[in-house]
Amino acid sequence: MPAVPTVEATMLGKLDWSAIPLDQPIPLAAGGVVLLVILGVLAWVVVKGHLPYLWHEWITSVDHKRIGVMYILLASVMLLRGGSDAIMMRIQQAIAYQSQGYLPPEHYNQIFSAHGTIMIFFVAMPFVIGLMNLVVPLQLGVRDVAFPTLNSVGFWLTATGALLVNLSLVIGEFARTGWLAFPPLSELSYSPGVGVDYYAWSLQISGVGTLVAGINLVTTVLKLRTKGMNYLRMPMFCWTTLASNLLIVAAFPILTATLAMLLLDRYLGFHFFTNEAGGNVMMFMNLIWAWGHPEVYILVLPAFGVYSEVVSTFSSKPLFGYRSMVLATMAICIISFMVWLHHFFTMGAGPDVNAIFGIASMIIAVPTGVKIYNWLFTMYGGRIRFATPMLWSVGFMVTFIIGGLTGVLVAVPPADFMLHNSMFLVAHFHNVIIGGVLFAAFAGFEYWFPKAFGFRLDERWGKVGFWFTFVGFWVTFMPLYIAGMLGMTRRMQHYDVAEWRPWMLVAAFGMLLLTIGVLAQVTQIVVSIRNREALRDRTGDPWDGRSLEWATSSPPPVFNFAFDPDVRGEDAYWALKHHAKQQQLEDHSGPEYQDIEMPKNSPTGFVCAFFATVMGFALIWHIWWMVILGGVGAFATFVVFAWRDHDEYVIPAAEVERIDRINIEERRNLVSLAGTL
Amino acid sequence: MSDQTHMHVEHDIAPGDEEQHSVRERILGYVVGLGLALLLTATSFFIAGTNLVWQPSIPVALIVLAIAQMGVHLVFFLHITTGPDNTNNVLALAFGLLVVFLVVGGTVWIMAHLNQNMPPMDQIMQMPR
Repeated sequence: MPAVPTVEATMLGKLDWSAIPLDQPIPLAAGGVVLLVILGVLAWVVVKGHLPYLWHEWITSVDHKRIGVMYILLASVMLLRGGSDAIMMRIQQAIAYQSQGYLPPEHYNQIFSAHGTIMIFFVAMPFVIGLMNLVVPLQLGVRDVAFPTLNSVGFWLTATGALLVNLSLVIGEFARTGWLAFPPLSELSYSPGVGVDYYAWSLQISGVGTLVAGINLVTTVLKLRTKGMNYLRMPMFCWTTLASNLLIVAAFPILTATLAMLLLDRYLGFHFFTNEAGGNVMMFMNLIWAWGHPEVYILVLPAFGVYSEVVSTFSSKPLFGYRSMVLATMAICIISFMVWLHHFFTMGAGPDVNAIFGIASMIIAVPTGVKIYNWLFTMYGGRIRFATPMLWSVGFMVTFIIGGLTGVLVAVPPADFMLHNSMFLVAHFHNVIIGGVLFAAFAGFEYWFPKAFGFRLDERWGKVGFWFTFVGFWVTFMPLYIAGMLGMTRRMQHYDVAEWRPWMLVAAFGMLLLTIGVLAQVTQIVVSIRNREALRDRTGDPWDGRSLEWATSSPPPVFNFAFDPDVRGEDAYWALKHHAKQQQLEDHSGPEYQDIEMPKNSPTGFVCAFFATVMGFALIWHIWWMVILGGVGAFATFVVFAWRDHDEYVIPAAEVERIDRINIEERRNLVSLAGTL
Repeated sequence: MSDQTHMHVEHDIAPGDEEQHSVRERILGYVVGLGLALLLTATSFFIAGTNLVWQPSIPVALIVLAIAQMGVHLVFFLHITTGPDNTNNVLALAFGLLVVFLVVGGTVWIMAHLNQNMPPMDQIMQMPR
């Protein structure tokens, strides 16, 4: 470091032309293709004149349904990115037997780090938060979430994090440290590049977004419920949303604090986690997993909620053991904070600590087992319809039980000493995350797509997608269990053991099936959009649903419900429907339509995230003037927002009535049509 | 935000919602709180420097005073009460305390154990076998 920085160093920090990986064709080509696609889409949007529509209806929208859809879109795009990483790794391990394969070590290390980071933070998280945003206010029978603009800020900050991770593909590098960036490897002395900084800053920024989303959804469930919707009448998905977001609020600050300490080490020469000067590496493991284990349940609890809704709807039965389900959910919510040490059994704790945490880890499987039995009993005696969402749910039960059992196995400390950091572990957590969270994401996507867009997805392609993904999952990950038993450790760039080779080849073949599954689902969306008139859902209740989101039209009007639904028991909409069938469809002659006030759209979220992106990028590259610019910009955006006078607009009663009448007409037509048949 | 989504406000009040008290009552509450907080702070400073009491009891006394200080803040400034309108806030506080207890307590326990089992190399060499 020179005493007086040059002009270039002041203006550009560490950034120069060597940051562009011109010598590495793979990331450069990938980045180039992505850039072309983005530019192409942008050009199409501008030329077709869609920009004002996008800006007014989506980018600045504070409508929870729109924000939910944007979350899911972000997650889907990032799923393709993370999936590409997975394909590259499987191919590498298939061919890197007694050779270097096609990925050099430093690139391979970035790929597995990016794969984990992206799949957890930018696929699973936005997908479940998107579903919660889309569905929970509808299920609660209310018009919006508690903090609509904050919601938009949360989404755009998550998008900022995703953008920064992808930027690392072409400008600089990503972390080579694995998805949790354990020190001392992630400290400056061993990772001097910008990779860990990309990792840490994108997680810090998107972490703020996640925390904001968590606060918003907790408040929504606790404070905004329609008439008569007391806690024990809420649909299961609302309960799991509550539990999951309580965990977000409790756990994400730990992640933020831990990464902040790592960043202090890297930027200001602190010694929290360094090898020297009193730093303690184990403190990082301890703290990151104190966040990391609740994070697992943050993801899987909403997934359980999705399955509860889907299984109950497609079995045409109320959920079996509703109260035990609530109890199990809340028990998981608490116990998930008592098991984190099982991620580092092998790192030096004594037998009593390991035993206690091992037992706690086994105990947490009990409420999960309760849930499985409840779903099975919900199906028992039901009239089951095997539509695509139900297929995903049944596929989940089969898959997740195996993943859960191997989980209980590694919760036994002596077994964990054998299996720690082996491919067995890799197979286990993919088994629960793909079989649990991703299947739920797909089930929820298929299930609520008609609600969000007003037409169903094509069933045939959906089933093709399910079967390829389901079989592909088993073919990919069961061999990894065996490879783990044979002693193969995770994250190997190449290996020389002949017994592992066949299993890696099988896994690569499974990856091919998974890829076909994903392509089938993309095809499904394209085909469905083309046939949308034939697949149109006019009644708003395509699946014979049970909860309130099906009581309004598809897509719902911006105000969701013309009247506050009046809830008298569990399965609120089911009761309403049967009440209505007996007395014909009720005419809304009783209450008068009234004006509805809705929050105004606001660019706050987008502008805030723009400045956060500038600031994050500048922090990564040590461009200090730009850091100040971004920080001041984001703060100024907040001040402008806080000082605005008019934050709501009124939808006149006549307009509410016009919109509501259309839906009532459609429903009545359907009922009378059914009567003539 | 929206008054049309009327909920059961009669049973619970969010932080920031106005309670039905007169201005005089509320000001009195804050003044009492401020007085107690100042008193507790002053006592802490006094105890820390005094030699009127048995010396090893001082840290314990400081901890007790600190907890009392938190209680004063919760009751007088954050308006946590045991009333039925406050269930959510009390539950949120309890959940927060539980998580803090689990994470901090667990961390102290784990880290002590890790240090026990992973001492520096020279101490390992001196261990009895």
